Amino acid sequence: MLRYTMIRTVWVFIILITILSINFILLKNAPEYPPTIEEQREIYYARQVSDGYMTIELERDPEMVETIRQELRNPAESDEYTIIRNAWYRDEGDQFRIYKPVPLINQYFNWVRNIVTEWNWGVSTRVQANVPVYDILLSRIPVTFQLNIVALFFYIPIGFALGILAALRKNSFLDNFISVAVMILISLPSFVTMTFLVLVFGYGLGWLPVQFPPADVTGTIRYTAFILPVLGLSFGALASLTRTSRAELSEVLTSEFLLLARTKGLTQTQAVLRHAMRNSMVPLVPGIIASFVGLLSGSVIIEVIYSIPGTGRIFIRAMTQNNYDFNLILGITAFYTIISLFAILLVDLSYGLVDPRIRMGARK
Amino acid sequence: MDYKDTNPEVDKSKLQFVQRDEKIFDKKFETKPVGYFKDAMIRFVKNKTNVVATVILFTLITLSILIPTFTSKNYTTLEPRMAFLPPRVPVIENFGMLDGTVYVENQQIVTSTIDPDTGLGIPDPTRYPTDYINMDTLVNYDIACSEVSENCSGGEVNFANREADSASTFKAPGNFFPALADLPFVTVDVSELQLSGGSTLSVLVNDGSGNYVSIGDVTDVGEQSFNIIDAVANPDDVFFYSTELRFLFENSDPSDYVRLNAIELSSNASTDPLYVASGYDLATFETLDGTGRLSRFGATITMSSFEFDAYGAALGDYRIDTFSKAEYEEIVQSHGDSCSVINNPDNPEGWYLSEGCPVREVVSTSEPVVVDGVEYTSYEVIMNYGLYAGYDEVPYYLAGTTNTGRDLFNLAWVALRTSLLIGVSAALVNITIGIIYGAISGYYGGKIDILMERFSEIIARIPFLVVLAIAVAYIGPGITTLFIVLIVSGWIGVASVTRTQFYRYKGREYVLASRTLGAKDSRLIFRHILPNGVGTIITASILSIPLVIFTESTLSYLGFGIGHGQSFNLGPIEFSGVSIGVLLADGRAEIISRPYLTIWPAVIISILMITFNLFGNALRDAFNPSLRGSE
Repeated sequence: MLRYTMIRTVWVFIILITILSINFILLKNAPEYPPTIEEQREIYYARQVSDGYMTIELERDPEMVETIRQELRNPAESDEYTIIRNAWYRDEGDQFRIYKPVPLINQYFNWVRNIVTEWNWGVSTRVQANVPVYDILLSRIPVTFQLNIVALFFYIPIGFALGILAALRKNSFLDNFISVAVMILISLPSFVTMTFLVLVFGYGLGWLPVQFPPADVTGTIRYTAFILPVLGLSFGALASLTRTSRAELSEVLTSEFLLLARTKGLTQTQAVLRHAMRNSMVPLVPGIIASFVGLLSGSVIIEVIYSIPGTGRIFIRAMTQNNYDFNLILGITAFYTIISLFAILLVDLSYGLVDPRIRMGARK
Repeated sequence: MDYKDTNPEVDKSKLQFVQRDEKIFDKKFETKPVGYFKDAMIRFVKNKTNVVATVILFTLITLSILIPTFTSKNYTTLEPRMAFLPPRVPVIENFGMLDGTVYVENQQIVTSTIDPDTGLGIPDPTRYPTDYINMDTLVNYDIACSEVSENCSGGEVNFANREADSASTFKAPGNFFPALADLPFVTVDVSELQLSGGSTLSVLVNDGSGNYVSIGDVTDVGEQSFNIIDAVANPDDVFFYSTELRFLFENSDPSDYVRLNAIELSSNASTDPLYVASGYDLATFETLDGTGRLSRFGATITMSSFEFDAYGAALGDYRIDTFSKAEYEEIVQSHGDSCSVINNPDNPEGWYLSEGCPVREVVSTSEPVVVDGVEYTSYEVIMNYGLYAGYDEVPYYLAGTTNTGRDLFNLAWVALRTSLLIGVSAALVNITIGIIYGAISGYYGGKIDILMERFSEIIARIPFLVVLAIAVAYIGPGITTLFIVLIVSGWIGVASVTRTQFYRYKGREYVLASRTLGAKDSRLIFRHILPNGVGTIITASILSIPLVIFTESTLSYLGFGIGHGQSFNLGPIEFSGVSIGVLLADGRAEIISRPYLTIWPAVIISILMITFNLFGNALRDAFNPSLRGSE
C-alpha cells in the first residue's frame, strides 16, 4: 500500500509538472499583451527584468534607431524585421532601451526558481495590472470553494437518498419517476438549467437574488445568493450520483451474500444497512471525489451567468479577446490542474481505503 | 411433498419416441440463428421508452436537415424591422396566448395625447403607433421621479447647500415688471424646513438702483408674503421698476434645507398672480453662486401600459426620410397599376399613391444633387413594410424573431444542424483516433501499452481550461479552437474501451488459431478482434457524441466557440456559424424582457440531449446483456 501510494504520488507530480511546463512554454511563446497604460507598462517590464524573464539592451547606433522607429510606426511594411516579438522598445530620443525576452528555456528555469523560492507566480497584465497573480487568486478562491463545497454537501446526501430509495422500490412508480427525472437532469446543460432557475426564481417569482451580491453587502442575501448557483451546479452531479448509487445498490441487492444475510435472520433494513450499503460504496466514493473536479470546472459557467466573483469568472475575463492576461491564465489553470490532480490521487487511494479487499499495487 | 402432485401419472400408451426410424443429425434448424446484432436489436426494441426516444432523436435530426433546406428564408440578410417579434402560433393565438402581442410597460405618455373623455394618454406615436395599441388594455399610472424634466410634474423642491457655512443664491428665470403702485408682494409656500442656528432663506429683490436687498426671511412652514415695496427706499423716485426674484440661502449645516411648494409674485391690483413657480419651474431656478443644490421631491411622471400588436406595427406604415428616387421609380414601375399617383390637396409638395402600393405617400422631395454627372434625388416617403417586403399575410413566427429579424423557429433548426455536424464530425475524429490508439495499445501490450497508457493518462489529466487557454492564445476564438478543445482529450474514452476489448479477445483460442495459420497483425486486429468488440466500441462512440455537443454549446455560449458571422464549408454546403450555444448566448442578453429567445433553443437542446442519452444507454444495454440494474 505504501509503495503504491508513493508511486501514485510521484506520478501525480510528474503529470503536474509536465502540464504546467507545457502550459508555461506555450503561453509564453504566444504574442504577449502587456499593460496598456504607459506607467504600468514601465513597472511591468522592470519587474519582468528583475524576475529574470527579460534583459535590457541599449541601441545607440543612429541607423538602427531610425530603422526600429520606422518599423514600430509601420509594422506591416518592413520586410526584414529587426523587431523581436514580445520585446518592448522604449524610445529615449537618440537611443532605444530594449527590453528583450531571454530564451524561453531560461525563462522557464527562472519561472520555476521564482515559484520554488519565492512563490512568485508573476503579475497580472490586463485584468488588474501589476497585481501579483497569487494575490488575485487568493481573493477569488474562497468564493469558488464555498460554492463548490456547499454544492458537494447538498448533492451527496440527496443523491444517495434518492438512489437508495429507487433501488429499494425498484420498478415502482417512485423508481420510474426518479429515473425519468435523473435522465432529464443529467442531459440538461448546466447553463440552461441555471438560466431557467434565475428566470423563474429570480426574475419571475422574485424569491431569490438574480445575481451574486458584491462583497460589501451583508445580511441574509449573502446566504440566499448561494441557493441558485448551488442548485444549478449540483443538478447534473446529483442526477449521476442517484443513477450510479441506484445501479450499484440494486446490483448488490440481488447478490447471494445478501440472500444469505436474510436467511440468517437479519431484517431487510439490517441487511441493507450492514451488507448492501457498504459494498455498494466501493465504486461510489471514488466517483464522488472525481465529481468534485467536474463540479469545479462546471462552476466556471455558473460563475459567469450568476456574476460570482470566483476563479472561473476571472479566468473568462483574462481570456477576453485581444486582451489576454497570460500570467493570470497560467495561475488559474495551475490552480485547476493542481486541484483536479490531487482529487484524482485521492480517488486512486480511496479504492484501497474504502474496500480493504482491494490491495493496491499488490503483486498477483 | 407429495410426489403425485408434481408428476401426474400419464398413460404409457400416450408416450412415444420422437424419432425411431430417422436420423436427425443432418436436419436443418427450423428456427433461424440469432446473431449478435439481431440479439442486440431484440433487446433494444424490448424497451419501449428507448424506442420512443430513438424515434424522437431521429425525427430531430431529420428535421434539422430538412427544415433549413426547404425553407426559402435567407439566414444571412438582416431585417431590422422584423426584429424581436414575439411568438405567434396558429390556433393557440385564438386563446389570447402567443398571439404576437406584447405587453408594454412603463412607457412615458405624451401629455398632449390625453383623451378628455377617458383621461388616458398614449406614448410617443413614432415608437408605438397608435393604431396598434389595444386601447382596452391601456392604463395610465403615476410613478415617482426626481429628474429635472418637464415630464415630471408636481411635487416640491428642496433648496439646500452642499457644504456647511456657505451661501448661495437661486434665481427665478426672467425679469418681472410689477407696478410698485399696486404694492406687489412675493408669496413663498413652504411645506417643510430644517434650519439650524444661523441658517436662513431670504427673499431678495431690486431696491430700485440695481442692488438686491432682502425683504424678509422664511421662518416657518406655510405661506408667507413679503412686500417688494420694503426694498425700495423712495418708491416715488423709481420711474420704471424691474426686478428678478432671488433667494439667498445661508446655512451652517449641510443637512439644512427649505422645501418649497410654490413661489408667487402677485399684486393688489389683480387676483391673478403675475408669476407662479411650482414643481418643474421651481427646479429650473438658476444657481447664481455658491454650492446651491435644488432637488425635487414627490414629483410624479405618468406612465402607460398596454398591449401592443408588434406584428401589425412591424408590417405597418413607417417613415423613411431619404428614399432614393431611383428605388421609388423601380417600385412604382414593378407594381404597375396599383401604384397610381393621387394628388394630395393638403400638401402640394407631395402626393399619395393608390391602395396596394408599398409606397403610401411621398411627403416631400429634396433638391437634386449632381455627383459625377448623375442626378440624385431623395424623397421623404411613408412606406408600408408588409407590402414592401412582400408579406402577403401576417407571418407566423412560432418562436418569435431574433435581434436581426430572423425566424427563431427555423434558425434553431439551422443551429441544431451546425451543433450536430460539429458534434458528429468531432466525435468521428475522436472515434477514429481512439480505435487506432486503443487497438495498438491493447493488441501489442507490454512496454508499448505501458508507454501509451501513461501518455493518454497525461493527456486526459489536462484540464480543458488549459487546452482552451492555449488554443485561444494562438488561434483566437473560433471553429478551429472549438475542434482542438473537443479533440485533444476526446478520444481517450473510446481508446480505453477499445483497449479493454482487445485485452479481452486477443488471448482467445480462435485468435491463436488464426495466428498459427500465419495471419498478420492487421488481419488479426481488423478481422478477428475488432468485430467482436464492436458493440461496446459503438456504444462508447455514440455516447461520446452528446458529450461533444454539450461541450460545443458550452464553449459557444461562453463566446470561445463559433459565433455569428462565422461560417465554415463542408464540401459544397456552407454552414452558418449559428449553433444552439450561440443562440442561447444571444438570448441571455434579453433574458428579462424577451425570455422566448432562450426558451425555444433551450427546449431543442434539452430534447436532443435527453433522447441522445436514452438512445446511447439503450444501445449499451442492448449490446451488453450482463449489465444489470442500470438504465
